[in-house]
Amino acid sequence: MKTTVLKIVLPAFAIVMAVGLAFATEENNLPVTGYISTPSGPLPVQTDCPDTGQGYCFKESNPVYRTMALENQIRDWE
Amino acid sequence: MSSKNFNNYIISAIKLLLGMLFIYTATGKLMHLDIFQMRLEQMPYISPLASSLKWLVPFAELVIVGLLLIGKYRALGMYASFILLGLFTMYIMAVLRFNEHVPCSCGGVLSALSWRDHILFNGAFMLLALTAIRLSRKGNKDKPQNQNTT
Repeated sequence: MKTTVLKIVLPAFAIVMAVGLAFATEENNLPVTGYISTPSGPLPVQTDCPDTGQGYCFKESNPVYRTMALENQIRDWE
Repeated sequence: MSSKNFNNYIISAIKLLLGMLFIYTATGKLMHLDIFQMRLEQMPYISPLASSLKWLVPFAELVIVGLLLIGKYRALGMYASFILLGLFTMYIMAVLRFNEHVPCSCGGVLSALSWRDHILFNGAFMLLALTAIRLSRKGNKDKPQNQNTT
């Protein structure tokens, strides 16, 4: 009985929990839309910046903003 | 409880933790393969391999889970976990050392970690894998040798 729990039930539970957690945190895994300044106006870009931390978010050296008005630069770790 | 039993519980717990980590990360990648590829394409050094790596990484993670779950291949799974985590950690360290701008490619719960925290996180799991390997080898050494010579 003890062996069955250790060898089958516990691993099965762990697998289900890990898959469930992956689905539950799916939204955190998606990139967010930010805006960069271009000569033709603000351009929407996808970014993985976590919007937290000390630094600022850049896309190929262009600062990434939260809004189309290019206000509030998105945060990055460093 | 004998020390052998205690070691077996520790090894099983570590095996489960490593398995959960790899299933969690592999599922996250497989759910959004296109986004994973886009992130790989932004990463320094490995961007040309993005289309192969998007399949290879989750596949390797799931194979390792399989190895960890099958008793016969448990030790191989521990070594493979250690190597995969080690490769990822070395890659992050190289990127942090030689690149000014580091794009984030961590998702889910792990996205709450900065790259430096990620190194610590990986280091902790590598340490766990190493502990399980050592306990496993110790257990094998302590096993009585087969005396049957027929």
